[in-house]
Amino acid sequence: MKAINWNDVGELDKLFWDQNVRQFWVDEEIPLSNDKLVWDKKLNPDEKTAYQKVLGGLTFLDTQQASLGMPLVALHVNNPYAKSVLNFMGMMEHMHAKSYSSIFMTLCSTEEINDLFGWVDRDKFLAEKTELIVSYYKSINDEKSLYLAMVCSVMLETFLFYSGFFYPLYLAGKGMMVNSGEIINLIIRDESIHGVYVGLQAQELFGTFSPSLQSQMANQAQAVFKLLFDLELEYTQSIYDKIGLRESVVNFVKYNANKAFANCGLDLPFSDLKDADINPIVLMGLNTKTKTHDFFSTKGNGYVKAMRVEELTDEDFL
Amino acid sequence: MQYHELNSQVPVKVDGFYQLNKDQEALESYLEYVEGKTLRFNSIIEKLTWLTENHYYVNFFSMYSYDVIEKIYNLILSYKFSFPSFMSAFKFYNDYALKSMDGELFLENYNDRVLSIALYLGEGNAQVAERIACVLVRQLYQPATPTFLNAGKYHRGELVSCFLLSMEDSLNSITDTVSTAMQLSKIGGGLAVSLSNLRAKSEPIRLIKNVAKGVVPVMKLLEDSFNYVDQMGQRKGAGAAYLNIFHRDIVEFLDTKKINADEKSRIQTLSIGVVIPDKFFELVRENKPMYVFYPYSVQKALGQQFDDIDITAMYDEMVQHPDIDKEEVNPRTLLLQIAKIQFESGYPYLIYIDNANRANPLKNLSRIRMSNLCTEIFQVQKTSYISDDHQEDEIGYDVSCVLGSLNLVNLMDSIQRGESLEEIIFSAMTALTRVTDKSNIKNARSIRRANSMFHSVGLGVMNLQGFFVRNFMGYGSREAIEFCDIFFMMLNYYSIMASSRIAKEKGESFHGFSDSDYKNGTYFDQYIHREFIPETEKVKKIFENVKLPSQTDWMALRTFVLEHGMYHAYRLSIAPTQSISYVQNSTPSVMPIMDHIESRTYGNSTTYYPAPYLNAQNFITYQLAHNVDMYSLIDLMAVIQKHVDQGISTTLFIDSNTSTKELMKYYIYAHKVGLKSLYYTRTKNLSIEECAVCAV
Repeated sequence: MKAINWNDVGELDKLFWDQNVRQFWVDEEIPLSNDKLVWDKKLNPDEKTAYQKVLGGLTFLDTQQASLGMPLVALHVNNPYAKSVLNFMGMMEHMHAKSYSSIFMTLCSTEEINDLFGWVDRDKFLAEKTELIVSYYKSINDEKSLYLAMVCSVMLETFLFYSGFFYPLYLAGKGMMVNSGEIINLIIRDESIHGVYVGLQAQELFGTFSPSLQSQMANQAQAVFKLLFDLELEYTQSIYDKIGLRESVVNFVKYNANKAFANCGLDLPFSDLKDADINPIVLMGLNTKTKTHDFFSTKGNGYVKAMRVEELTDEDFL
Repeated sequence: MQYHELNSQVPVKVDGFYQLNKDQEALESYLEYVEGKTLRFNSIIEKLTWLTENHYYVNFFSMYSYDVIEKIYNLILSYKFSFPSFMSAFKFYNDYALKSMDGELFLENYNDRVLSIALYLGEGNAQVAERIACVLVRQLYQPATPTFLNAGKYHRGELVSCFLLSMEDSLNSITDTVSTAMQLSKIGGGLAVSLSNLRAKSEPIRLIKNVAKGVVPVMKLLEDSFNYVDQMGQRKGAGAAYLNIFHRDIVEFLDTKKINADEKSRIQTLSIGVVIPDKFFELVRENKPMYVFYPYSVQKALGQQFDDIDITAMYDEMVQHPDIDKEEVNPRTLLLQIAKIQFESGYPYLIYIDNANRANPLKNLSRIRMSNLCTEIFQVQKTSYISDDHQEDEIGYDVSCVLGSLNLVNLMDSIQRGESLEEIIFSAMTALTRVTDKSNIKNARSIRRANSMFHSVGLGVMNLQGFFVRNFMGYGSREAIEFCDIFFMMLNYYSIMASSRIAKEKGESFHGFSDSDYKNGTYFDQYIHREFIPETEKVKKIFENVKLPSQTDWMALRTFVLEHGMYHAYRLSIAPTQSISYVQNSTPSVMPIMDHIESRTYGNSTTYYPAPYLNAQNFITYQLAHNVDMYSLIDLMAVIQKHVDQGISTTLFIDSNTSTKELMKYYIYAHKVGLKSLYYTRTKNLSIEECAVCAV
């Protein structure tokens, strides 16, 4: 490999690199212990189980994306700046996976945590989802397979994560588990740019394909999606049925499936779905715009690394 | 549909505009829910009897007769209070209304809360209770959260908002401060502590060199104390640590707020503030090397604690002094460091301590060393000396502050209709005075002492932008400057008048009045040498029916004060109203709003809050904080500051594209025009779309 010359970086890669660096965060920034009381007193056992499972599932998915998805896609793209951006994103996926553990450690006993990770290991829907996605990551050997791996990456980050995000967003919108909700909001802030960036990479590659190959690839993407969506319905049912939220979550999953396809520049699978069909609390929770917050109780999502660092000069005192 | 869902629909646009009608629907749905969970009584007397017998309320019947209570309650009902917005009702019932011990039932509505506060602060005096009830139920005056929440309840926290402590360089003093911090957290106050007197990292302890650990471990102790004592899980204690920028540990102190600070030194929830003397800006301007000092060596060489020293005056001598240990730093680099950390965390607060001391009416008594958790309090302090067995403690004086705010829109409506501003402000000052007089904080000796000496209060203002929007004015306009110059002059005038009337009535002035600028008359100079008359058409119209205090009135006031004294050492401060401005459906304090529909994470809830008075017509002209020019915001604050004896919580608003240089120029400008402090810097992280727009 040649040495990377950042003086030649393209505008798009620079934009995403900067955005990633700027919104860098670590899980220790967010104090979580305020949620402890809500956890102990306001949630019933079924709700706690659901909360643990969605975060356990997310940990599993983030682990795959951090350790396999991002590094393997990065390994196979040619653009050296894209490699940098993708690896930065992969590093943040590790941060996400770790931050779920921070939530568990704050709320649960070691025994509960061990039980939960045991469930993650055993759950067949989680296993099937990840096996399917990872099989695409591991079989990259040409541009076609790279394209499909990118599509899978977008599916994972823009679509499959959201059945898990639903519950923390829903509770935070109702004033429960607000600090953990803040972590989820930071993760969503990352995932949304990850999905857009990898989607743009996929579209760029797609543009180089012949029309017949394009339609073949689009069909394959649809086929993978079909398998993933069916698994997602079963997974959703297994987690959300008991707390009566299945239907709302399914609509939300469809909403995000549309977003994933939009990121890849492909036709939307649920084009008749309207914003009004989505639970408004969760829909508004998706908003990663800088929120107003009370400094005494939460940290907020607006704070970022200073990017335009300029020193004072004597002219500034004229 | 439930109120949460209805509220979440407010920001979803239909036909190009927000569904503001959903806010009203959410309010109705919420009030229905509240109705179903409210315990009912046949009369107010029956209700008060039950609340007293079950230890929810203090016994008002020992202070007032049934008739008087009924009369005051009927007066309250005659104003027909209704909640102006969903957020207002939601905030009130969630955070303020009395609930049954199991938390299941509401025991109070808004009128009941007003009654309880009025009776409690009236202490048996029906006229005072009526006076207070009238300004409360009409939302002219709003006490700060501790008073609004607690007054009249049997089990309650303190009524005072805010405390400041100074610390001496000894283990006795550190443990005493930590212990006091925990006690104050228990009763629910926000506490600021100055660490500037503490010896720096690596200074000697006894005669052993290189052993002192510096200020950061003490910050950790304080942070853990605040987290531990959390009012039975309701709210964690809140605290701030202040350090002088010339203290040797300043860099470590600032680094505690960096995103990637190491865990041992990271401070998560404790706020931090830097005390900056003029000398620092002089060195920044001249780009000269700056020296930071080791306080223990300073104390030994000069015989003075670091906090007591006027660094600007003493700097050269301290640099020359052979026995004072010091280190060289680059002041511009240090300022840049502050700017970068503000981007990452919003901290530190900046305190322009020399500006504060120059304008201090009690400057002949002692120095102001620091500010409070929200940077609007500026009062003199004296450090306590704590002995080994407490037998020989010498207790100095620290600061407690009782806060409340006027709702500018409602207030202006009233005085434009011919009501007396003097009487409204007198009522507000009476309510504040009653709180300081009742407060007796046993566990914080220096604070109890200060309260009995100074009776300080902090009357502020909220809904300034709401007033601007209603009158089609904006930040940065000549009208805004002119309006504030006149209004805050009047606030100053009538609050001095009230304080002096109260002193006359009680036959008592604050400690040190005879050495103050009020007594020697210099405080009144700026009003006696200039007449305040509106020039722009708009402001003329606003004050058309209002009598403005003239130069002659000010001279008469000076004479009145000279004769009768003043009860309060400090009267005014503009606090950053948060929860209470939601209850009032007001814009916060004197700051601009962040968003037309604010999505608000406030500890226990996420709610959507349309800006007060927002509609499709004023939507375009309703300024958002991140679009307001920061220089004109600072200019407006400087105008207000001239009329406020303490300070103003001034927030800066930047976005992720702002350069650190620009931010530093705001600091320098704010210092130059005489602000006493800058509170948080709120950074808005631009999204990839917003950045793409700038990039194109």
